[in-house]
Amino acid sequence: MGEPCRQTCTQVRTHVYTPGADTDMHDTRRHSSTRTGERPLKAKLQTGVVPLLLVLHWKHGAGNPLPITPVNATYATCATRHPCYNNLMSQIRSQLGQLNSSANALFILYYTAQGEPFPNNLDKLCGPNVTDFPPFHANGTEKARLVELYRIVAYLGASLGNITRDQKTLNPNALSLHSKLNATADIMRGLLSNVHCRLCSKYHVAHVDVTYGPDTTGKDVFQKKKLGCQLLGKYKQVIAVLAQAF
Amino acid sequence: ELLHSCGHINPPSAVVQCGSNFTAVCVVKEECMDFFHVNANYIYWKTSHFTIPKEQYTIINKTASSVTFTNIGLLNTHLTCNVLTFGQIEQNVYGITIISGFPPEKPKNLDCIVDEGKKMLCHWDPGRETHLETNFTLKSEWATEKFADCKPKHDAPSSCVLDYTIVYFVNIEVWVEAENALGKTKSDHINFDPVDKVKPSAPRNLSVSNSEELSSILKLAWSNPYFKTVARLKYNIQYRTKDASVWSQIPCEDTASTRSSFTVQDLKPFTEYVFRIRCIKADGKGYWSDWSQEASGITYEDRPSKTPSFWYKIEPSHVHAYRSVLLIWKTLPPFKANGKILDFEVTLTRWKSSQLQNYTVNDTKLRVNLTNDRYIATLTARNLVGRSDASVLTIPAFDFQGNLTESKCYLITVTPVYADGPGSSESIKAYLKQAPPSKGPTVRTKKVGKNEAVLEWDQLPVDVQNGFIRNYTIFYRTNVGNETAVNVDSSHTEYTLSSLTSDTLYMVRMAAYTDEGGKDGPEFTFTTPKFAQGEIEAIVVPVCLAFLLTTLLGVLFCFNKRDLIKKHIWPNVPDPSKSHIAQWSPHTPPRHNFSSKNQMYSDGNFTDVSVVEIEANVKKSFPDDLKSLDLFKKEKPSTEGHSSGIGGSSCMSSSRPSISSSDETESAQNTSSTIQYSTVVHSGYRHQVPSVQVFSRSESTQPLLDSEERPEDLQLVDHNADDILPRQQYFKQNCSQQETNPDISHFEQSKQVSSVNEEDFVRLQQQQISNHISQSCGSGQMKMFQEVSAADAFGSGTEGQIERFQTVGMEAAIDEGTPKSYLPQTVRQGGYMPQ
Repeated sequence: MGEPCRQTCTQVRTHVYTPGADTDMHDTRRHSSTRTGERPLKAKLQTGVVPLLLVLHWKHGAGNPLPITPVNATYATCATRHPCYNNLMSQIRSQLGQLNSSANALFILYYTAQGEPFPNNLDKLCGPNVTDFPPFHANGTEKARLVELYRIVAYLGASLGNITRDQKTLNPNALSLHSKLNATADIMRGLLSNVHCRLCSKYHVAHVDVTYGPDTTGKDVFQKKKLGCQLLGKYKQVIAVLAQAF
Repeated sequence: ELLHSCGHINPPSAVVQCGSNFTAVCVVKEECMDFFHVNANYIYWKTSHFTIPKEQYTIINKTASSVTFTNIGLLNTHLTCNVLTFGQIEQNVYGITIISGFPPEKPKNLDCIVDEGKKMLCHWDPGRETHLETNFTLKSEWATEKFADCKPKHDAPSSCVLDYTIVYFVNIEVWVEAENALGKTKSDHINFDPVDKVKPSAPRNLSVSNSEELSSILKLAWSNPYFKTVARLKYNIQYRTKDASVWSQIPCEDTASTRSSFTVQDLKPFTEYVFRIRCIKADGKGYWSDWSQEASGITYEDRPSKTPSFWYKIEPSHVHAYRSVLLIWKTLPPFKANGKILDFEVTLTRWKSSQLQNYTVNDTKLRVNLTNDRYIATLTARNLVGRSDASVLTIPAFDFQGNLTESKCYLITVTPVYADGPGSSESIKAYLKQAPPSKGPTVRTKKVGKNEAVLEWDQLPVDVQNGFIRNYTIFYRTNVGNETAVNVDSSHTEYTLSSLTSDTLYMVRMAAYTDEGGKDGPEFTFTTPKFAQGEIEAIVVPVCLAFLLTTLLGVLFCFNKRDLIKKHIWPNVPDPSKSHIAQWSPHTPPRHNFSSKNQMYSDGNFTDVSVVEIEANVKKSFPDDLKSLDLFKKEKPSTEGHSSGIGGSSCMSSSRPSISSSDETESAQNTSSTIQYSTVVHSGYRHQVPSVQVFSRSESTQPLLDSEERPEDLQLVDHNADDILPRQQYFKQNCSQQETNPDISHFEQSKQVSSVNEEDFVRLQQQQISNHISQSCGSGQMKMFQEVSAADAFGSGTEGQIERFQTVGMEAAIDEGTPKSYLPQTVRQGGYMPQ
């Protein structure tokens, strides 16, 4: 399952496609990607930032860009499997709180599991120096904040998938870390679904262009650990802002 | 193989719904028919080993026969099609399996539970048994994606564990589909947030600790399940004593928020309690966790709450003057000991001595040698925290025996002594022999009324009772009457004597009786009052009230009729110093004059005197005058023929009797000429400085005496008051027109005079006028018109003219035919005069 995913993702790049997830959304996504995937993503593609890889842990729908951008033409395409409930914002807040409360523990667990020199060189190795991380503007409208949240969660979800995959190889015995990474990825998956629902049901936004972090597949062990540590440091930082903003 | 190929049954297999009909057709190949020399009539049907009755067969044609089952019940059998060959050899042609059952019912009561740390389990009610293989599929999805189906295991077909990690705070929709050979159905969809279906793990590490400060509390502490990081929790905490089987529960409202410790209060000291705890999501959604493991703790000790039961036994002693006393007591039960009893302390105090003997004993008995004196023994129990209260016991003296005397009250107390200690004691009062009381009760009155008296007395002291007082007798009599006796129960200390005679001396005494006789007390005398309390008041107060009421009514009557009374008894004497000067007001004359007149009457001082005030509004004179003139013209018909009074007498009477004259100028000239002979005063109207003077005059008040002497004249004026008004107006109008004439020099002169205080001056003049009215009435002088004409002819006035002018008003009144006519006069004698 992972292999075809990687191929597909690499080819499509901006549009993660999970085989087997035979939902209406996916069909729509593929169509929509050709129409709307170009605008902000061309630059990303050119700069080489976008290379993406999802692992098995990043399950159905995770990181998938929502189809269709034009607001006035999305009623037909922005469909959900069943009506979204009206407690979405409350749920989103709960999920952000849940992530925020566990982010620091995950960060500590991660750099501890990596061993030296990480725990003693956090500033150098784990500083939140993540380039091309999707921006967030806390003072924007709810719609704008949700769109930005969607991008961030998609980015983080994909990155967490990569980190989980790497850690299973690099630290196969750090079961607690694996479990925590999986749990975080699960919550993020749910968060992405809720944001999708909210954007779709209230703002009729069916498509959001997303970007992903660098692929670590070809990098050496230290670089993998370092990129993971930086990402989790960034995650810890940004999730606090997000939890505050909603 | 031969038979197999000989025919077949249609349908080849059957799943049939219970209660329906089913028909199977067996078709035998012709070659077989020929081979066996049979036809369709030879076909017969069997289910398992039973032949189906021929009535159910139908021969369709030469090679085919069908069998029909109606209202099929539960079946799971083989149906075979057979032929009889050669008349008796049974050959099986074909066989099928028939199974009957029901289509699946719609699954009901679908619900899910998320055991914390485990996957989500959903369960449902599959409905009636289908008797067929029925597949259930649990389907689940988010609004944005679908999850893999969940297939129940065979051993638990009505529940399924979803194999993916459940995510909280995302609504998930779940439903069940059921399918078998007879149909397919699905349950209602349920949509929920998994966080509301969680059964948290039970709280862990429950521990109990006590407090040395408070013996009634225990502190609980525990570790919350991980679910606490997801949602807030509430708890149930239950406890019981170690030996009890029933749990008590802490009120839920006290444990309705997330916490990890709790202090349980109101527990018994030094008692072991067992606790357990469980939790649920704070909003009550979801499921209660299992109970935690039980934990127990013992409350801290408290001082013993009760004293031990305490008794003694006196044992004979061989030593003279001493005796052996065994003090015994019981151990305290745990709920009274409130801790571990460390020892007992016994203190013995000799009677009337401060000598103490202290013993600390671990046992529950103590043997001591005591003298034959009386002793007081105290016992306390001690534990780690403190001592109990003391239990006191009196050990009587050795020589204590009953030297009882007669007519003495004894309190006999009996205390039962059981094997394990004393019981509760009971007491009774007793006399060896009773005697009459040594003194009788002293009676006195508590309250004495006209016909009754309340007597009271004190209980006899026990020393003089000499027995049980059974009753009292009260004797009372008057000086001359017979003595009356009343028996009263001994429990009373008060009695009311009734039907007494008022204002009488009574003598009363009282006797107390025991079983052996009675004794009189001292005699007490009292006198009943003549009147009962409040009787005098009851008479006096209404009388006073009636008197007051009468007086009040009298006063009111007098007040209402005061004018009449005053007129007949003390008629008013006008004060000369308050005389008014009339004023002409061309502005609003009729109304003003009326009010002025009314005011005069309302004052009540001049009951029979009319005063007319006439003002002159000089500023607005001309237009107002015209209006007034018009008004007057309208009123003229009604006023004509009644003209009298000041205005009429001064202006109108000068040359013309009526205003209807069209020659106004002439009239004005006439008037002005008349006024010139009148007094001249200028006055303001409503604070305005008049541009034209008002004519008036005041005279000496001397003639007032005449007025008083001739009240009939005054009344005449009163009757003509109404008639005066139009005339006055007319007079003023004429005067006003005169004002417009700038050539009239005396106006200006009078204006100068009024420069001091116009208003006061005018008021003074008005008074003078009113005074003058009386004066003129009294004078009864005549020839007014003539005099006025003369004044007109003289032009500007002189001192002498003014004097003459006085008479003018008087004469005018006569001339009108009414004795009361007033001419406005402005100058008092000796005061202002026109120049």
